[in-house]
Amino acid sequence: MEMIEASRDLRDTCAIVGIGNSRLGKVPGVSSLDLIVEAMRNALDDAGLKASDVDGILCRGPDDVYSHHQMVGERLGINAKFSTTVTNGGASQILSVALAVMAIRHGLATTVICGYGRDAWSRTHANEEARVRNETRPPSQLPREFGPEYGYYSAAATHAFGATRHMHLYGTTKDHFGQIAVAFREHALRNPQAQMKKPLTLEEYHAQRSIVRPFGLYDCSLRSDAAGAVIVTSRARAKDLRQPPVVIKGFGTHNNTRGWFADDNMVTTAAKQSGERAYAMAGVGPRDVDTAQIYDCFTYMVLTQLEDYGFCKKGEGGDFVASGALRMDGALPTNTSGGQLSEAHAEGMLQLVEGARQMRHTYAADRQVRDAEIALVSGHGGNQVCHSTLILGRA
Amino acid sequence: MTEPRKPLPRPAPESLPYWEAAAQHRLDMPHCQACDGFWFPPSRTCPHCTSADVDMKTVSGRGKVFSFVIYDRVYHPAFATEVPYAVALVELEEGPRLISNIVGIPAEQVRCDMPVAVVFDDVAENVSVPKFKPL
Ligand SMILES: [Zn+2]
Repeated sequence: MEMIEASRDLRDTCAIVGIGNSRLGKVPGVSSLDLIVEAMRNALDDAGLKASDVDGILCRGPDDVYSHHQMVGERLGINAKFSTTVTNGGASQILSVALAVMAIRHGLATTVICGYGRDAWSRTHANEEARVRNETRPPSQLPREFGPEYGYYSAAATHAFGATRHMHLYGTTKDHFGQIAVAFREHALRNPQAQMKKPLTLEEYHAQRSIVRPFGLYDCSLRSDAAGAVIVTSRARAKDLRQPPVVIKGFGTHNNTRGWFADDNMVTTAAKQSGERAYAMAGVGPRDVDTAQIYDCFTYMVLTQLEDYGFCKKGEGGDFVASGALRMDGALPTNTSGGQLSEAHAEGMLQLVEGARQMRHTYAADRQVRDAEIALVSGHGGNQVCHSTLILGRA
Repeated sequence: MTEPRKPLPRPAPESLPYWEAAAQHRLDMPHCQACDGFWFPPSRTCPHCTSADVDMKTVSGRGKVFSFVIYDRVYHPAFATEVPYAVALVELEEGPRLISNIVGIPAEQVRCDMPVAVVFDDVAENVSVPKFKPL
């Protein structure tokens, strides 16, 4: 309990004061680093800050480069008191914000920029071989045994193992996964920047091209050129800045480092413990959350995280999503910008951006979750077992 | 024009004994002398008790399908004639879980918790890949 007491000291101490994203979708001829810096420039403009006001850089890396954060700093033209890259995959973006809060609270930095993005669409469409492999990681990071000889490829398959097991244990159906894809597509149609522009019906979902069963095309997130960024500073400094501060109420992490295939990790994910820690720090529970931005690399991952976060019981995620809960007028409007399934995929960075924007109440009525006071954002990655949770609120 | 070949395993140093046993149609698993635990993939420290007193031990080759997926999309040209094929996570009676193929039945008939037993697919000279068929 001592640790939970200590983390409560961080509740409501820092805020997100700048939010930005790059162009999203198909942005040929722009490197991942330039996409990140584009998002960071937009976040700085949003906050009314200059790059020289920033003294901390935290970002995910490397996809394919060494010491990513240094290259970001070079392009922003700044030195940093506190700067590093984290390698927890899609859990890195919230982890970066968590590290920023800790660094700021302990005087290691005052204003930290966090961001990530990648040129995943351009990279997987560079030539025919890249299109067939559909792999964002460089060959040096791929398995050399216990996979390729069996034709076991892609993150889709790895997550599909969890989906199959969940369906076996709890009677979850493809219809349930379809409800998630359809809800997020509806949200994307309200978002002019979203990569996907066409409506998606449940019938079209069921008629989709199969990829690796139980997943078809619409169960899989997008390959996108996309980046996002946020700027974190103390509540005291936030008062003097341009935008209404988005308060960082709490965060948590958990890492099932024994592996995705160990224990029951593929059906009860690290979101469970990560969420419990974040709720404890923020002093809220699942019933207090007005909107969720859930890491949706695949439809199934939304369903299981909704259970792990306590929005419904384990095994009841199917009924929960079928109730329409995820829609703008539902009990828990989720992935309100379209998510990685329909807006663009930047490894959780755009979930963070959307959660923060919802807390500013600046959207027009069709995109704003009405009266939203608390947003939960999730990050998942790092060989499927690293998780991070952020709980945001209004000042 | 030759047919594209399936990738062969490229073993890490700690995996060599596993593949050497497989070449002789034996399923050997890393095993701890101190706590009698098994695990997979191979490593030289027991993840149950961190003992370094480890060896390889032949296991039953029997287990069940913990979970599985069925490929319709081709990610590697050598599998173009194999789709739809099943990749399973098999849980051995001794505990370890490993990725493999389920062979001998159509992919659509694979089920979670289905009992399976190892068979060996001789894919190249001195290279055999453990696969599983329903019991
Ligand atoms: Zn042991």
